[in-house]
Amino acid sequence: MENSAESPQDPQDSSIKIANPPTTARSTAEKISFGLASLVVAAIAGLVIFSWATERDRPPVLTLQQSGNIRHTNRQFYVPFELSNIGGETAESVQVSAELKVNGEVKETGNVEIDFLARDEKAEGAFVFHQNPEKGELVIRVSSYKKP
Amino acid sequence: MGRSNRASNQWSREIQDIVRGASGGFLFGVPLLYTMEVWWIGSSVKMPRLILAMLLTFFIVLMLNRTAGFRKATDTTLQDELMDTVEAIAIGLVCTGLMLILLREITWETALPESLGKLIYESIPFTLGVALANQFFSGENEADTSSSKSKTATQHSQGTLTNTFADIGSTLIGAMIIAFNIAPTDEVPMLAAAVDGLWLLGFMGASLVISYTIVFGAGFTNQPKRRQQQGLFQRPISETVMSYLVSLAAACVMLVFFDKLQWDDSWQIWLSHSILLGLPATVGGAAGRLAI
Repeated sequence: MENSAESPQDPQDSSIKIANPPTTARSTAEKISFGLASLVVAAIAGLVIFSWATERDRPPVLTLQQSGNIRHTNRQFYVPFELSNIGGETAESVQVSAELKVNGEVKETGNVEIDFLARDEKAEGAFVFHQNPEKGELVIRVSSYKKP
Repeated sequence: MGRSNRASNQWSREIQDIVRGASGGFLFGVPLLYTMEVWWIGSSVKMPRLILAMLLTFFIVLMLNRTAGFRKATDTTLQDELMDTVEAIAIGLVCTGLMLILLREITWETALPESLGKLIYESIPFTLGVALANQFFSGENEADTSSSKSKTATQHSQGTLTNTFADIGSTLIGAMIIAFNIAPTDEVPMLAAAVDGLWLLGFMGASLVISYTIVFGAGFTNQPKRRQQQGLFQRPISETVMSYLVSLAAACVMLVFFDKLQWDDSWQIWLSHSILLGLPATVGGAAGRLAI
């Protein structure tokens, strides 16, 4: 009985134009997917506004520390480090350098560049030495960065 | 019975609209996803600028929705267009987010502002693609369907081999158009450094799903023709797999052409780089088979 009302709804090819209901009445499916879509957009916009509100308008604060133990493999010593930016802004081209002094004399140096370090971001890496850093004095420090 | 039928009709139409939008987004957005400068800009962008970007996208997409859009309906009111704009942006955001996770550009360790920056900047071309979805293969609209049908009829008589070559050819052309721009850049090795082992399987899966969706799921104008075409791999699944292999081979050849792969590289590098470039190549290949 409902067949006559149903027939123009044929989903296949040619009747596409007819198949679309008048635009004033959106189908339930469209309403639900619009609801979900608004939720997604609102969530992202909300997160942006939240980050904006909590954005600390201050320069990068870079902290560097040795993370974990020194690894000794194949006559090389690997000193892992962890660099984090606990400041507000992003730092670009962060230079981390290391110096190994034995008996007050600089024996080996190392350099790493970290491309980008956003706020609250961490970067990890390692310095590699030929001499045992534990037998000398190891200084690792952040030497420079530039504003993006 | 009639009611449940109508409801499932509604849903299948709605899902097809969304899938069509997402397919358009992939065609437009994938090249920018493989651009590291955009990841970097996203990393350091200020929040007010992101809000501005979202607002701008909203207005541009609204304008596009007035002319193209991703739905088949043509008689729309401003309210419909506003709703579609929100939906287009949501489709763009969700697909871009999934792709960025797949590319390992957004991980658990990525800071929130950085993720938002990457997500919103990368989603702009994606969202434009969603809004243009209907326009992409407008070469043949309904008026054109009859002529394409007659063309198909002549192709029938030419036999399956010709059609198979036509498929391979159009896949190759499409793959070249999209992936040729990406092959010589440093993004592929960069992404390969972040992607390991099983993650590559995810890439393969995503490539296959996106390719299948664009050609068979999205309801682009050309699809009836594709289903009719006779060829050696004419079932949707086998066509998808075969064209994926063609795209992978094309990606590999392009990488060799640009000296990005050398004979003395390990086979793991060959494999991972080809699979990574294979994704945009497959998207291009799928578009190629629809367009040509």
